Amino acid sequence: MELAFLQLAATAYLVSALAFGAHVLWSVKRAASVGPLLLGLGFLVHGLSIAWRTVDSGFVTVVGFAEGLSFFAWLVAGAWLVAQRRYSLSVIGAVVSPLAFALTLAAVILFTGTRAVPAELMGPWLPVHVSLAFLGNAVFALAFAVSVIYLVQENALKSHSAGSLLNRLPSLEQLDRVNFTCLAWGFPLLTLGIMTGGLWAAAYSGQFWSGEPREIFSIVLWVLYAGLLQLRFTRGLRGRRASLATMLGFAILVLAYLAVNVLPVAGRHGGGVLS
Amino acid sequence: MARGLLVYGINHHSAPVELRERLNVPEEALAQRLVELLEVPGVEEAVLLSTCNRVEMIACCSGDVSRGELLHKALLADSGVTPELAEPHAYQHMGREAVRHLFRVASSLDSLVVGEPQILGQMKDQYLLSHGHSSTGVVLNRLFHKSFSVAKRVRSETGIASKSVSVASVAVDLAGKIFENLEGRTALLLGLGEIGEVTARQLLSAGVERLLVANRTLETALELARELDGTALPLERMAGYLPLADLVVGCSGGGQLVMAAEVSAALKERRHQPMFFIDLAVPRNFDPTINNVDGAYLYDVDDLASVINENKGSRRREATEGEVMVEQEVDSFWQWFEGLELVPTIVALRESVEVIRTTELMRTLDKISLDEESRERVDQMTRSMMSKLLHLPTSVLKEAGGSNEETGLLSATKRLFGLGDPEK
Repeated sequence: MELAFLQLAATAYLVSALAFGAHVLWSVKRAASVGPLLLGLGFLVHGLSIAWRTVDSGFVTVVGFAEGLSFFAWLVAGAWLVAQRRYSLSVIGAVVSPLAFALTLAAVILFTGTRAVPAELMGPWLPVHVSLAFLGNAVFALAFAVSVIYLVQENALKSHSAGSLLNRLPSLEQLDRVNFTCLAWGFPLLTLGIMTGGLWAAAYSGQFWSGEPREIFSIVLWVLYAGLLQLRFTRGLRGRRASLATMLGFAILVLAYLAVNVLPVAGRHGGGVLS
Repeated sequence: MARGLLVYGINHHSAPVELRERLNVPEEALAQRLVELLEVPGVEEAVLLSTCNRVEMIACCSGDVSRGELLHKALLADSGVTPELAEPHAYQHMGREAVRHLFRVASSLDSLVVGEPQILGQMKDQYLLSHGHSSTGVVLNRLFHKSFSVAKRVRSETGIASKSVSVASVAVDLAGKIFENLEGRTALLLGLGEIGEVTARQLLSAGVERLLVANRTLETALELARELDGTALPLERMAGYLPLADLVVGCSGGGQLVMAAEVSAALKERRHQPMFFIDLAVPRNFDPTINNVDGAYLYDVDDLASVINENKGSRRREATEGEVMVEQEVDSFWQWFEGLELVPTIVALRESVEVIRTTELMRTLDKISLDEESRERVDQMTRSMMSKLLHLPTSVLKEAGGSNEETGLLSATKRLFGLGDPEK
């Protein structure tokens, strides 16, 4: 059932991505409302899949690569839903829906069913750390999507090739503002994620910091986003440069996630799919 | 002779502006012109439409109307234009074509700038004027009301009017793609060209809060600033105000006034809040490389013109949808119009046969004695004979409604059954 819901969600995301593409790239008017609707629907069905697992195993488990991808995709769709409600920027779904689809598809392919959490990793900090860390990543993913749209829109304006694409995308200023809002939410979540991770590690091994790759990547990310926010406040860093930096941050985030999960690197953040 | 619809006139497709302006009918002359038109034999109802792009008469006629007389009464009058000069430019639409033409004009599908909103207002005014002078009747009243509703439908259901096609409105649209809104913004206007002034006004009405007007001669800048509630400054001091401006409109004859380096400095001072440069001057006021500066967006007249062209293209594409709607509405109007003659003829046919039936029935029943039941049977028999006889002619007439066979069939029916004019 969990897998069926997951497959259904992946399908909804795919159709949503196609509808967004049809609307934004080829200005198919009828597709305009289909994209947002299916992305929201995908989020709901996806939520059912996660709820099923949670009821089944009795706690919020994000153990293993596939579950991580699925949980991440669900949060990204959720973050879009919030942004869409608050800023009526549904067009960001044009980037979010294919991202959610790719992640969910990977989760479907790599699906393994419930895995037990190693007893020594259990504890009160586990769900807190996992939720905060994933939520932070999802908000950064949304910032990435906003930045992509920003660069497309800016390119359209600068090249004067304007055209109809320009009309379907929001203003640069609004995109920039939402990008900043995402960073302003993502950064504290990342900080809390790192701190709870440390507390959790300290709780079971007595060590706050063990120097495993995931921890190092997180610190690199933290420094990058901190610098981005700092420059924004002091020098007014915004627009294209801020968007490029946001995208760089997300690229590092994805690389870190893949490296830790796919490569045979030992650590608590993933046994390594290839190991 | 059958009633018909007729459009006669010239427009921007058929005649050059020199001729159009000479034939234009001033508003105060419209009433007199209508009176003269109604005196033309055959013209029953008439409306005159005179705008800068067209002079047209729309009439409901009975019988043939002389083209020469229409030319004189509808177009030439006392304009001094010779018939030889005007005649080759005049066009005439009849029947369905006339309806289609009027619907297309009202929907702005026939306008120079497709989708422009003025034509509908002008049509309404001039129709009301004609109506006020009692030159319209059942047919034209319905035709014009229908054309207004068609125009409304085309406007709301297609995108023919959705894209901007003027420099000022395109500039405002583009500003809306850079800034979230224009409220509280500052615009700097360089020079006092007419197009710059129009753009400044449009920016102000779109929400721009402060207007700075920089000009070589401060006095003229002061004049415009006073009028638009802005601030005037001499052109030499413009650079100092640059960092304040979110939008900079150039329409000065002074050549290149703002360089990329100045814009970079201004942006730094503004903490990289974006700036939008609209260069309406030829030669251009802004260094073209300003567009390469991060956070600065520059559009010159050619860039704006290409956006306008693209928008016009999109309006034209939307217009094809409008044409389909017009076609549907022409059908529905035409059905009504045809019914105006068809229905009375069919009714008259039935009535005349019914008269024959009842007279003959009475005559026969008086002569022979039958019981009640038999009388009813005979009555029933004559009824079904009549309806079987009339079935085919009636359905042929109904089917011919709207086709080009109709007029012929109608007059044949009237002649064969001796119906005369059903309306008289």
